[in-house]
Parts: sequence; C-alpha cells; structure tokens
Amino acid sequence: MGSVMLVVRLVLADVRRHKVQAAMLLLAVTAATATLALGLSLRGVSDALYEQTRAATAGPDVVALSPASGPAVTPALTSLANEPEVIAHHGPYRIVYADLTTRDSTSSSVVVQGFAETPGAVNRPLVTSGRWVRSGGTVLERGFATALGVGVGDHVTIAGRSYPVVGIAVTAATSIYPWAAQIGPYGGGSDYSGLAWMTRADTRTLASSQDLPVTMALDLKLRDPAATEAFRDAHRDSTIWINFHSWQFTAEQDMVILKDSRPILVVGSWLLSFLAVTGVAALAAGRAVEQTRRAGLLKAVGAAPGLIAAVLLTEYLALALAGDALGLVIARLAVPAIASPTASRIGDAAGVTAATVAAATVLAVAVAVLSTLRPTLRASRTATVTALTTTAHQPRHRPWLTALSALLPTPFLLGLRLTARRPGRAVLQACSTATTVIAIVALLTLYAQQERGYGLDGSSTLPNLRGEHDRRLMLAVTILLIALAVVNTITLTWTTAMEARANMAIARTLGATPGQITAGLSTAQLLPALAGAVIGVPLGIGLLSLFAARNAAEPPSSWLLGAALATLLATAALTALPARLAARRSVAQTLSAETA
Amino acid sequence: MNVSSAAVRACGLVKTHGQGQSRVRAVDEVDLEVPQGQMLAVMGPSGCGKSTLLHLLGGLERPTDGEVWVAGRRIDPLSERALARMRRRSVGFIFQAFHLVEELSAAENVELPALLAGRSRRQARRRASLLLERVGLADRARHLPSQLSGGQRQRVAIARALANDPLVVLADEPTGNLDTTATLDVLRIFEELRAAGQTLVIVTHDERVAATADRLISMRDGMFVDDTRLAGTGTGWLGDLIGLEG
Repeated sequence: MGSVMLVVRLVLADVRRHKVQAAMLLLAVTAATATLALGLSLRGVSDALYEQTRAATAGPDVVALSPASGPAVTPALTSLANEPEVIAHHGPYRIVYADLTTRDSTSSSVVVQGFAETPGAVNRPLVTSGRWVRSGGTVLERGFATALGVGVGDHVTIAGRSYPVVGIAVTAATSIYPWAAQIGPYGGGSDYSGLAWMTRADTRTLASSQDLPVTMALDLKLRDPAATEAFRDAHRDSTIWINFHSWQFTAEQDMVILKDSRPILVVGSWLLSFLAVTGVAALAAGRAVEQTRRAGLLKAVGAAPGLIAAVLLTEYLALALAGDALGLVIARLAVPAIASPTASRIGDAAGVTAATVAAATVLAVAVAVLSTLRPTLRASRTATVTALTTTAHQPRHRPWLTALSALLPTPFLLGLRLTARRPGRAVLQACSTATTVIAIVALLTLYAQQERGYGLDGSSTLPNLRGEHDRRLMLAVTILLIALAVVNTITLTWTTAMEARANMAIARTLGATPGQITAGLSTAQLLPALAGAVIGVPLGIGLLSLFAARNAAEPPSSWLLGAALATLLATAALTALPARLAARRSVAQTLSAETA
Repeated sequence: MNVSSAAVRACGLVKTHGQGQSRVRAVDEVDLEVPQGQMLAVMGPSGCGKSTLLHLLGGLERPTDGEVWVAGRRIDPLSERALARMRRRSVGFIFQAFHLVEELSAAENVELPALLAGRSRRQARRRASLLLERVGLADRARHLPSQLSGGQRQRVAIARALANDPLVVLADEPTGNLDTTATLDVLRIFEELRAAGQTLVIVTHDERVAATADRLISMRDGMFVDDTRLAGTGTGWLGDLIGLEG
C-alpha cells in the first residue's frame, strides 16, 4: 500500500509540474480513441437504429416487389400472403414513380406508396409529426422531408398536383433516404428518391392522371423472421417476376451511406494515434535527461528499478486511460449524429460495445507505452551515479552534413546542423507532416469527386448526403490531425531550441544574429517537414486507392502542390514564434547556466 | 587617450541585477579605455562583476546605464542584430568552459565564425588551418572536442576567437579549467597575440595570466579599485618568475 501511495504521489507531483505535457497526452489520446470508437461503433449503431425503427413501425420481414402492375400481379402477390410461413401481411399496394417539387422549386424523384387511412398490422409508418394520410394530403418520410426542408402544413407538388403535407413519418420497410425506391420503374434501375404516402385512392388517381410508372408491393411478416432467405428461395419459381427485399437487406442498405465513414474514422484514428505517439515521444525525449536524473534520485534513496518503472509508466498510462475514457464518452455522445446522417431512423444509439472499449483502450495503452517505453527503460536501467550525473545524449559528428551545410547561407547552415544533431526528432517532424499531408490529400480527393446530387436528374439542389457526410467527417478528422500536428511542430521546435540553446548562444557570441538563429531553428523543422510533405502526397494517394472507388477522380496536381506548400508555410509560421522566443534568450545567462 | 585609438571604451557603465532590496550593482559606475594592442587583465574575487563587465564590453548584455564603445562606435543602443554584426567583425570570445560545439571537429569549430560572417567554405577552411597551426593543433584538426584535452580545447577556442581577425579578444577565465601545463600553453599564445598587436581583455583569477598583461585592473563590488600599468614587456616580471620566457 505504501508503495502504491508513493507511486501515486510521485505521479501527481510530476503531472502538476508538467501540466502542458499531461494535457497534450490527454487530448491526443482522447482524439484518437474517440475517433476509433466512432469508427467501430457505426455499424452497431446503424443496426440498432434500424432495429428500433423496425420495432416501432412493425417493419416487415420481407417486402415482395413486382415491377409490373398488370392483373396477374395482385393475385400472385396475394398468394404469397397465404403461404404457411407468413403470419401477417400488408398490401398489395401501389408504388407510383413521380417527381416532387417544393414551393422553393427544389425537385426530386419520389416514390408514392398507396396506404390505407388506417394502418394495418405490418408496416405501420410511425408518424413523428402531423397525422397519417387522409384524402387529398400526403405524408412525407422524415429523412426526405428534412432534406427538402418541408414540414407539416407546407405544400408540395407531385406530378403537377399540389398536396398539403399532413404528416411526417418513418418506416423500416424501405432503406433510408435517398434509397426509398427499392426497385425502379418497370423493374429498371432506381434513381435517388424520397418516399411519400397517400391514400390508395389518391395514389390510383395520381398514377392514372399522368400515366406514371407503377409497381406493386406486399409487406410480409414471417413466422420465423430470420428465415427470409429460405422464404425467398422457396418462392423463386413464381410465374410473375417478384423481387424479395428482406429486413436484413434493408438494414445492410442503411450502411451504404456510411460506407466510407468507417475507413475515414478508423484510418483517421490510426493517423491520430501516430501523431499522438510522435508528439508525446518528442516531449518524452526532451525530458529524458530530467527523467533519468529523477530515476537516479529515487534509486539513491532506495527505490527498486521496478518502482521507478512503475512511477514513470504509471503517469503516462493513467493519463492515456483518462484520455481513453474521455474519448469513449465523446464517441458515445457523437455517434447518433454520425451514424445517422439522415433523419430516416428513430431511436437511441446503443452504447459503445465492449469490443470497441477494448480496442480503444488497447490503442490508448499503445500510445502511452510506445511513446515513453524507451526513456522509461533508460531511466530505470541507468546506474544510480550515472543517472545523477547524466547529460543530454551527445550528438554524433556528421562530417559530410557539416561540410554540405558550410556551402549554404547561415540560416540553412544552422538549420541543417540542428537537424543533424537530432535525426530522430527530424524523423518525427517528417512523419508528423506526412501524416497531416495524407489527411489533406484525402480531404482534397473527397472534394474533387463529381457526384450526383439527390435532386431531380442528379441536380445538386438536394445535396448528396453521403458525399457531404464523408467530407464533414474527413474535415473533422483532418482538423484534429492538423491540431495535433500544430502542437507537435511547436513542441519539436521548442525542444530542439532548448537542447541546442548552448550551441545557439555560442553562435550568437560568434556573430549570428537573433534573426539568423530564428531562421535556423525554423529551417531545422522545415527541412524534415519538406521531406514529410513530399512523401505525404504519394502516401495519401496510395492510402486512398485502398478505399476509394475505382473510378474515383484524383484531385488536380495544383491542389496537391498547393496543399504541400501551404503545409510548409504553416510549419514556417508555427516555428517562427517558439524559435524567436528561444533566439531572444540572453546569451550570457545561457552560457552561464551551461557552465554551472 | 584618443577615443578613436581606443579599441574598447566604457563610460559610467552600470549593470544592476534584481529589483528592490535584492537589487545588486554588478558593475558600478565603471570608466574604462582599452587602447588598441593593449593586453588588459581584470582581476577580483568571485562575484565582483568581472564577467558581467566582459559581457557588457562584448555586447552580450546591455548596461543599465552608461556607454560602451567598440572600435570607435557606441554599441549600447544598438539592436541585437547590429550587436551580432559588431561581434562578428570586432570581437572574439574565449570562455572558461570553452563552449565548443561538441559535434563539430576542431577545424569545423574554428571555421564557424568565418562561415557566419559570410565567407566561402574554402576561405573559412584555409583560415581555420592557419589558426590551428598557430595554436599548435594542426594535427588535431579533425578531432572532436571530446577527443581533446582541456588545454587543447581552449587552444581551439582561441583559434575560433581569432577566426574573423577581431579588433579585441575578450577572454573570461581562459585558464580557469586548465592544469599548469595547459595554462602555460595558453599564456604562450596570449603572449604571441600581444606581441602581434592584438587587443586582449582577460578576466582572470590567475595571477600568472595577469602577469603577462600590460595593464592590470582590480575589481571589487562592481568597481575598479586599482588600475596598474605593468612596466615589463614579454611575459612581465611574474612571467619571468614562472619561466614563461624559458
């Protein structure tokens, strides 16, 4: 117990002394675990929302769809309702394919389903506002109404006729907006469509008035809801062409809108974790001498190596686990909005699963251990006296780099020599920049895609929700990555400046101006950042090729070049302040401190 | 002494540290003129303000009050950039702790000031070779500071201080970390510099160093308490005593 208390007290004392580092680790792990948890939760949440909508709307197990509407269709569909596996049914009912226009001229394809004014036992759409269909009025599916910006009391024009919107409802019988048309007119391909309901009489009138395409559908409830495959196989030989859409198929279709969200979030979480490791490793490396001396002090008063390792690792592990918990809470709160970009489903998102919690925790622990294991082992293994007198690791002599830098102007001379002092840190800076550029390339690629809007004939008066959702997610992930990269760049510049302060002070005594020192410190970050930007562009394109569609458009080269240059300019700007602050330190004080 | 012939001049120089009751006058109303070619030694107990005076003369610290002139130009109101340029052209520093760049070889350390002054690599290298030969370290040019003895490191630091042919060399306890043999090596170099007309201001605890000077100033509590012109030439009477002439 005494040892545990000692560890806790030492950890708390160190966290209090290094609040910025603690905050950085906490935030980095929070961002990474929240993103991972979101990515891993999407399917579960999408399924949960579908399940809840299905339960609330008596969703059918199978929807039988016939592309034709001739006289033989209705008996064929009705005969399905009499099959022994079927315990309840709704229909057959008409589905009319039309165009819908709102008062502000937004147009979209719509499928109008003809329903009774009193819903049956199967497929009872849940009215979320207004009331259910009545003669002369229409009810719009909630996801569709939200996209149109239409509410109860508004009027919409369907196939040239004006209808008041009397209600808004949700159903589990069709996929979410804009995939309401389960089959296209005459069995052909279906366009992006919204869903509306009218009375059976109004639907018939609508279809006949304009000679609109009509298909027929029947909703079925099976004795065994899981036996949808068997039901479909058993009725494949029907003389009438009938498509069967199982509830499992519809639930799977809900995921189409999230198809790219999962890789964006999961791969984004890897990149965030990588940046977290990079940043914390840079900070830990900057504190390596102090940690080793601290370990020496603890050993000198009798602490065993195990206790020292526990003290050093516990701090990072505790912070990482706190970040993990925070990330999971954020993921839990954010997941309904991310997993359900349309308003077509109802219900509460399920909590984060145990598997997701485990994966996020493994990630958090990995970040803590990977970034701190080396300095921790070094500190706990170093002999006591050596640890007490330890100094910063002596940089290696690199004659060819020194000779090369001698040919360059002073800022590059200083910058290249600073880079050569700590090549590991330069690699961290390059990785950090490459990671950011990868994310920016991905974002630009998403923006470069030509996509059909959900409006009539692909008009973007109704935006492509899937594309928008992906871009929003990618933007959020990119912003998080840039934020971490910004912190990393400032940290790396500052630790470089602190470690090289004696050399920079010497350069000042030899006549280097503060401006040259500032430029040199910035250049020391810019050189690896340049390498990172150059590597990041092809890496980003390569990584995207693993997930993107084959016909995906690549962003113009000018965009990629601009992104790389902007990253370098941002790096230069970010390094300027810490470099300038470091360059303005008193030379006399610095040299006196080094001598002391 | 004519102002224009003074390599370094200070007038009413004051430097205070701290505030309120903890305020300390590290340099207190000091007037000083160091003619070109003079070798001045400043002695005094620890904390009397010797190093601060040297930093003020080299523009590494700014005075609280008073004026500092180097090569006929007042430097205390100059910007940091202008001060850096002035140091590049006119001042060479030597420190007790050597302050060599540890990851650079002896030659690369000596080349550094010339490169910072914008000279070509070839010029810088040639100058470094000459200076290392002058301090007797031509055969150690490629050695890292960690591979050199304390005396050798200080000789590299002296070569570095001379790289841009400065008007004045400011040395802060140059033999403070050296044994007797190394001290004598350094003193021989100083004597050669003095003979060549190099202006030197040396802050030291070491009477052997002071004995090689043309002039000796004693400091106490930030003030000059004694200013003695040493009559001898060469290494002075104390230099004779310790056998430098031999």
